Amino acid sequence: MSEQLLDLAERAVKMAEKLGADQAEAYIGKSSAFVIDVENSAIKSAEEQRDAGIGIRTIIDKKIGFAYVTTLYEDDIKEVVSMSVDLAKASIADPDFVSLPSDDSAYPEVNGLYDKAIKEMSSDAAADYVIRVIDASKQVLEGREFAIEGGIQTSCGTSAIANSLGVSKTSSKTSITLYSLPIVKEGEDQTTSYEYQVSRKLSDIDPEWVGETAAHLTLNTLGPKTIEGGEMPVVFGPLGAASVLGRGFADAISAEEVQKGRSYISDAFGDKIASDIVTITDNALLDFGIGSRSYDSEGHPTQVTPIIEDGILKSLLHNSYTANKDDVPNTGNASRPSYSGLPSISTTNFILSPGKGTLDDLVSEIDRGVICNRTGDRPNMTTGDLSAMLLEGFYIEKGEIKHPLKNTLVGINMRDLLQRISRVGEDTRTSFSMVTPSFVIESATVTSG
Amino acid sequence: MEDLAQAAIEAALKIGASFVDVRIENTTTTIIEINDAITKQSIASRMKGAGIRAFTDGAWAFAQTTNLTPEGMRLTGESVAKLALATRDRVEESFEIDGPSFEGKFVLSVKKPFSSISIEEKMDLVKMIDDQARDYDKRIVSTRSIYGELWSKVIIANSLGTNVSMENSVPRIISVSTAKEGSNRQRMQKSIGVRGGFEEMETEPAQNLGNTTAKLAVDLLSSEAAKGGIYDVVMDPILNGVLTHEAFGHAAEADNWPAHSTVLEDKIGERMGPAFLSISDDPTLPGKRGSTEYDWEGTKTRKRLLVKDGVLTELLHSLETSSRLDMEPNGSSRSQSFMYPPLPRMSNTFMEPRDWDLDELITDTKTGILLCSFNYGYTQPAKGQFMFQASHGYMIENGEMGQMVRDVSLAGNILEVLPKIDAIGKDFELDAGTCGKGGQAVPVMTGGPHARIRAVPVGGM
Repeated sequence: MSEQLLDLAERAVKMAEKLGADQAEAYIGKSSAFVIDVENSAIKSAEEQRDAGIGIRTIIDKKIGFAYVTTLYEDDIKEVVSMSVDLAKASIADPDFVSLPSDDSAYPEVNGLYDKAIKEMSSDAAADYVIRVIDASKQVLEGREFAIEGGIQTSCGTSAIANSLGVSKTSSKTSITLYSLPIVKEGEDQTTSYEYQVSRKLSDIDPEWVGETAAHLTLNTLGPKTIEGGEMPVVFGPLGAASVLGRGFADAISAEEVQKGRSYISDAFGDKIASDIVTITDNALLDFGIGSRSYDSEGHPTQVTPIIEDGILKSLLHNSYTANKDDVPNTGNASRPSYSGLPSISTTNFILSPGKGTLDDLVSEIDRGVICNRTGDRPNMTTGDLSAMLLEGFYIEKGEIKHPLKNTLVGINMRDLLQRISRVGEDTRTSFSMVTPSFVIESATVTSG
Repeated sequence: MEDLAQAAIEAALKIGASFVDVRIENTTTTIIEINDAITKQSIASRMKGAGIRAFTDGAWAFAQTTNLTPEGMRLTGESVAKLALATRDRVEESFEIDGPSFEGKFVLSVKKPFSSISIEEKMDLVKMIDDQARDYDKRIVSTRSIYGELWSKVIIANSLGTNVSMENSVPRIISVSTAKEGSNRQRMQKSIGVRGGFEEMETEPAQNLGNTTAKLAVDLLSSEAAKGGIYDVVMDPILNGVLTHEAFGHAAEADNWPAHSTVLEDKIGERMGPAFLSISDDPTLPGKRGSTEYDWEGTKTRKRLLVKDGVLTELLHSLETSSRLDMEPNGSSRSQSFMYPPLPRMSNTFMEPRDWDLDELITDTKTGILLCSFNYGYTQPAKGQFMFQASHGYMIENGEMGQMVRDVSLAGNILEVLPKIDAIGKDFELDAGTCGKGGQAVPVMTGGPHARIRAVPVGGM
């Protein structure tokens, strides 16, 4: 199948060139996914998602156009190729555009991104996994008032990319996601938490662990209270760390944001921007990694990129456009939402190097503070100001967890947050493209009420 | 096209489904983005395909196809019905889908259809807004201006006899300006989004959007980070809309009832807040971005009085939830596109205005904070916890507006915050937005008047 897709992509490139494009690129995404959803502790629905489409980027005199269609029929492809060329003609030239990437034979090898067992999983087998997850949650919650949401998604996707400069690459990946989200009611108090696993390998999936952990996490958040606010240390659990670094820092080191002056670290490139114990790497080559790939979404080879070493900012994340503009090597971080968009920049596997100690160890060192296990917030990228609600937070007193928190916010500027990291744990956890252990910041403003 | 829908429905019924519905969509979109006077992206898209759902005894199945031939539709109809039958063995709760059927063709007439406007003219609009923002003040160092349009025609049919088609046309212009002075950088975003043709981009507010955001970005240079604490908060119409949408609207989506996933579950008919508080969701407002004549299940839409005189009176229903809860369907089921099954969603959601003047409200507040506009917000309906962030605000001291502040966050619990509303203004404004749920984004509007909440936690640095 992938050869057919490459053939289609190459033909689309030729069509665009014929219509007057100086350079053209075609990206085809074809995926199938199977989803089962759980509502009120039982299976409710099943979904077969099939998606296939093509996106065409054309360049005429440094003017860029892009068009896509949600099918792969010949007539539709012809139509969008011509729409793309028309848009390029009408655009305003970008003097900083140099070229699409050219073919590079030195593509790294990345293992474990495709698992036949996921591709061939039957709908019955998927349903069995879901039922095991629910049963495991139920067992922990027995005797209580509860309702469990949950589900499984298996997906299998193939992409193909071709351009005028000889890039012609195709690859296939599989993934599986399984989750449980129990809702527990106790008197007037209703609460929820969740646990999940995402993997490229079926044998990694442990439905009992997901179900049990989700139930325990939910029970832990019963009876939340507010506290007296003030300046105090904040412990970010591995998932809290993933969201604060993923939403708060990964975008800040996108070369595009920095070049546009939209990032809070744009004045600090090359400086010491974090405490000595912080080392962060973007590693596209991790075996089985959710963010792994051997070429990026423009067909450029990927790599391991040091971002922060011992607190010093080492590199930004680039695609071909930003690398050409700064005249630096392309880090291969172009990414796109399948066929339906132009390449932007994103992390591959974003890894905070572990230190020592478990979450419990970090907590035991704190006299008075809070834990942020989860938050949905992101900072103002221009100023770095972050105000994060503790979606799942706990109060620490004398080295012990006292109670869950409600209506509690942590306020800090991201630049201060990075400088104030005083401990990094060893409890590394993968959540999609973030690979993070716990960490502690010495102090932040906590508001609660 | 109607025949294609029938082909799928008949095939699925033959296999043994008890309810089937089909959405066939043909959509075109254009996005033009200019950054700092250069075209950053110009994107055109075509979305063509059908989504088919089959149901039996409490089990749903969904699939989509882009093969819009009678054969393609029949095959997908059969396969989705088989999946529903296989899923049936695993479900625990059996129920039926029932409801009224609708027939009709809604043709949206606009003065200037997108297809009648050249790409060059659309590019010129974006360029004008982008230049306008940069020319406003030399401290504007970066500009980003985006025009987006979506035109769609959807045909919806189901096995209850519904057969409707409707058109939609939603343009939007967004302006983002970054101002810089020394190392102080501030960014402001505003947008105008409506339902209509390209003529809606020729109104005075749309044509001046670059100036509007540039001015606010420059003003923000002299703002301070707010100090965290407990404040009496006056919300502007935009932020009020976010509170209404995030903190309340999501929890009133009726799919939360069978799932037991909302803190409002036991509250129907109960008091949520003061007697002068009413919250509505109205997809029938003309020219508004969240408006639709039918929902994506083909049910005729109407205004929903979610909270009336302080009492929770109505929910946002799909055919499934109105069937299961034995309530009146009200046409609240929406999908992002044919690729997704419909879910109960909001449309244009707002707090109904009352009688306070803004000036009175500020004077009466004495000490507090006026919060304006918003950066983002989110909620956990099962817990009632919500959070949203105002893009800027003003401290209220001695009953007067004082220092400008920025990025102010408000967190709380739905059940606790609505009773704390003690004054609602008489002004009214709706703001364009896009709402996400279950991985699906749909156009909405949110708003209301200025309103005050007493003693809520406000996050700061």
